[in-house]
Amino acid sequence: MANAAISANSSEPSAPDGDRSVAKAPRDYRNIAPYFFIAPAVFVMLVGLVYPVFDSLYLSFFDWKIGEPFSKADNVGFTNYLRMFSDPDVWESIWVTFRFGFWTITLEMFLGVTLALMLEKPIRGASIFRTIFILPLMVSPVVVGLIWRYLFDARVGWINYYLGIWFGIEPQVWLGDAELAFFAIVFTDIWQWTPFIFIIVIAGLQALPSEVLEASRIDGANWWQQIFLVKLPMISSILVIALLMRLIDVFRALEVMYIMTGGGPGRATELLSLHIYNRAFDAQLLGYASAIAVLLIVIVTVLSAGILIIGNPMKDKSDV
Amino acid sequence: MKRWIAKSIGGLAVAAFAVTASFANPYEKYKGTTIVVSWPALSHYGKAQGLIDQFTAETGINVEVDALQYLKLRDRQILEMSKPEGEYDVVTWVVMWKGEYVSKGLLTPLSQFFTSGALVDPKFDIDDIADAYLQNGGVVGGKKGYMPGKSGALYGLPFGAETSIMAYRKDILEAQGIAVPKTYDELRAAMKKLGEAGIPAMTSRGKTGHQVTAGWLLHLAPLGGKIFDDEWNPVFNNAAGVEAAQVMREIAQTGPKGIPAFGFGDAAAAFLGGDAAFYIDTLKIAAMARDPKLSKIADKVGYALHPVGSRCGSETGGFAAGIPANSQNKEAAFLFLQYITSKKGDQKMVELGGDPVRMSTYKANADKFAEYPVILEQLPCADADWRPLIPEWNELNIDVLGQALTEVITTDKPIQPIMDAAAEKARAIMEREGYYAWKDVN
Amino acid sequence: MPGVGLNNVVKAYGSTVIIPDLSLDIRESEFVVIVGPSGCGKSTTLRMVAGLESVSAGTIHIRDRDVTYAAPKARDIAMVFQSYALYPHMDVAGNMSFALRLAGTPRAEIDQRVKRAAEMLELTDYLDRKPKDLSGGQRQRVAMGRSIVRDAYVFLFDEPLSNLDAKLRSTMRTELAILHKKLDRTMIYVTHDQIEAMTMADRIVIMDQGIIQQVGSPRDVYTAPKNRFVAGFIGSPSMNFLDGELHGSGSKLEVHGQGFKIPVSKRMQITANAAKDRRVTLGMRPEHFAATANKDGKYAALNLDVDVAEYIGSSQFLAASLGGQPITATVDVGPDAEPMGSGQYFFDTNRMYLFDRASGEAL
Repeated sequence: MANAAISANSSEPSAPDGDRSVAKAPRDYRNIAPYFFIAPAVFVMLVGLVYPVFDSLYLSFFDWKIGEPFSKADNVGFTNYLRMFSDPDVWESIWVTFRFGFWTITLEMFLGVTLALMLEKPIRGASIFRTIFILPLMVSPVVVGLIWRYLFDARVGWINYYLGIWFGIEPQVWLGDAELAFFAIVFTDIWQWTPFIFIIVIAGLQALPSEVLEASRIDGANWWQQIFLVKLPMISSILVIALLMRLIDVFRALEVMYIMTGGGPGRATELLSLHIYNRAFDAQLLGYASAIAVLLIVIVTVLSAGILIIGNPMKDKSDV
Repeated sequence: MKRWIAKSIGGLAVAAFAVTASFANPYEKYKGTTIVVSWPALSHYGKAQGLIDQFTAETGINVEVDALQYLKLRDRQILEMSKPEGEYDVVTWVVMWKGEYVSKGLLTPLSQFFTSGALVDPKFDIDDIADAYLQNGGVVGGKKGYMPGKSGALYGLPFGAETSIMAYRKDILEAQGIAVPKTYDELRAAMKKLGEAGIPAMTSRGKTGHQVTAGWLLHLAPLGGKIFDDEWNPVFNNAAGVEAAQVMREIAQTGPKGIPAFGFGDAAAAFLGGDAAFYIDTLKIAAMARDPKLSKIADKVGYALHPVGSRCGSETGGFAAGIPANSQNKEAAFLFLQYITSKKGDQKMVELGGDPVRMSTYKANADKFAEYPVILEQLPCADADWRPLIPEWNELNIDVLGQALTEVITTDKPIQPIMDAAAEKARAIMEREGYYAWKDVN
Repeated sequence: MPGVGLNNVVKAYGSTVIIPDLSLDIRESEFVVIVGPSGCGKSTTLRMVAGLESVSAGTIHIRDRDVTYAAPKARDIAMVFQSYALYPHMDVAGNMSFALRLAGTPRAEIDQRVKRAAEMLELTDYLDRKPKDLSGGQRQRVAMGRSIVRDAYVFLFDEPLSNLDAKLRSTMRTELAILHKKLDRTMIYVTHDQIEAMTMADRIVIMDQGIIQQVGSPRDVYTAPKNRFVAGFIGSPSMNFLDGELHGSGSKLEVHGQGFKIPVSKRMQITANAAKDRRVTLGMRPEHFAATANKDGKYAALNLDVDVAEYIGSSQFLAASLGGQPITATVDVGPDAEPMGSGQYFFDTNRMYLFDRASGEAL
């Protein structure tokens, strides 16, 4: 830029339109400034996000096995994709992921919002409850997986132990039965992620202007009407963001299921990301796993775009 | 750099003594050499450090160990062995990898060393090494590429190899009036009886994927089954395969709670914690049962042969060690390999708490460990074709059999259709990889 | 009696007493403005009437009904908030009709009432807009429309104009006054701005520290403030207060202070003579000063040292001092006059106020 300014200045005596170019130079500089400031973020995005995605896309056209140098891998064109679309295991895994997402997100939203509404007012002990509810969020997913794997353990797990003592229920093979294992991972996910919804919603509720809520009381809204007609609609953008983040998380979820069930029994708990992991590192089909990973990106993109179109949190941002 | 100096000194030494020619001992020539060994960070290899110290003290050859988590071992080894000059002088591999290593030309045939009178200890006695271990881990290129056969050649010596035996609870069997089962019929009857008495019968791996497949494979061989026939047709859905699956289902029904979620550690823990009367899997259970930190049942365990169905057949697995083709110290590496698998080395491994590979070692220590006489009798019938050691096995093992067998043990559906469907998938994989190309020619 | 009644109402948070004892009767259809400095308890009082704050003791009646413990929606009230408190997710029509929809009013009636209110407030073109697409004044009108549609018995206003700019505020003042005439409903309006109070109120309630200082018509509170606080709060610019002492007696009574000697006006002589304590505070409104003496009135001449003369059109605002004490005066000298300087000015003694210096009560 400095050079441009100098050359503009130096041309001033000879060129009749010298004034204009001098005036122009600093304005161009200002126009470029924003790009200059976002450049590092763009660079990080490119390196950290876009490159792996495209690399994965590239890899999906090869038949590459772990340990083999990539130069020896065969370019197989769309074979991996053709195989994927006719592979019932992939579709089953997608179906499991959607079922998992439906149950976890529905229940987490319900529980998280309910808890937030219950603990919104400064009742006695609310801060203690809030702290306790947030704890599961702070535990690393690997540890969560281990904790619940042992709690659900059929032989020595506390859950079987206390179900037996308190309710006389026979020990259940929680992680070895298709339906119970699915229940177990849904339960664990709800345990870990309800606090996330809770925190976001309670923050949203506490930021609501009190006068609007008072206005609704004067307008005659009872407790339920106030929640469903005023409070929740007013934090709808926050709910959409929370929903979106959870949805993307469902497609990212790996560690907890990997440790608790490894996707089993069968494919009962094999979410799509775990399916990709298992294909890539257990069955060692890197190219095929990459093709499924591309499918995962497509699914997440479509879902996210759909949610954003239905309830764009940014369009209401002047109100929040 | 260090190695270059060592080599130069070695060369000088050769020149200096060339006139007088003879050496005081076969190691003299390699004194001061440093060899690098790549092996997994597993218990047996940790204990081998004592043997290494003894080797260095006796021979003057230094040994540097690169111990890696065993899942990372293969990638690292392949990387090193693909270079023109590799860092590693000795590598140990899981038996599964041997075909790949040899087909890629990464290993030195041991015949290169066994032809040298200066290197081979006349008392080494290779025939004393358990044949199943030697064939399974060291011989490549025989029948089907991984089994013994005239076309095979020796590339490695077993170190940290294993087979399966049966461990049982003496006290439970005695209390229930059950004789130690010798056959699968007896075993299944015993499981039924224990099940009816409300005592968990046999523990097993059962988690989806390679774990449940491993559990089933343990019964497939003795019941007379195989994965593939000689022409690579999947045959694990024949009567023997279905029966083995039926056994797995019975084990899951009468065994400790949670078998469908058990990995290797969980299965062993159930037995060691007193929650199962039988354990059929690796012989390593004996060492674990003796460890008071792991076991509540140390003095209540008896060992017997892996029960027999239509034939005697136990597991073959574990590791073997060989010399990379790009090693810079092949002779010294061979001397090391020979040393640790020699009678003296094998005995030292027993004393250090590792697993021996020689029949004579088992015999000599038979009175010290209850499982040794059993292993001695078990080894001759360990099945070299216990599982196919081919690259496609990964996918077959985890994606096909691992899924089918989960269905077997977690549902009551008829077994034959499940196994038939799995066989179809296996056939598709083999077709894709070109195994049936010869069909049209012959 | 219909209207709104507060009887011995007390509000306390724990040991902190906000309103020690407040009684006030508001007649039906009356426009009452509660005014006072911030923290005087005026908003709390309004919110207790609305039912948004609980009452610690005492009772509140609306239309002869005891509503002390009734929920806000059961009080037949409508309220307009300072921040407008519109529902951001509803359009203007939705905002205005919310209460009726909750009450289950028939659709046709809702539409009719919303339409009428919208016409009254000139919001007809904006009915399907969201609040975020409206200007501040429009939002304020929607908030009022919401109340109008309710057709409540009492309208409560909590500083509704303070978020608007000065010009819009004065327009809205007028509109509100017209609205009150049209609707003929009881309105209670809280503000800290005495001009709003003076311009709109039928009666003004002046509060300070949780206590009502005076209740009266705008004329009453301006011409006959009960105490020094009211006198200082009402009127703009504020009244000047100068310490002085009474000298003489009867018709010869004078107030002497630093730099001035002013005869007490006839109107004040009787009460002033009765005052035992001769120590008083003299109150003079700035607008009662003049640059020239008028023969009709009783004038006292005062020598003011003028520091600044501010030009405000037909008059000038003087920041000056009298005997060392600061004093302000507004003198009507016409738009063409030069800036006024120090010298003799005249104060209309008929307009003087005297307060007991210790208690602040008017004499």
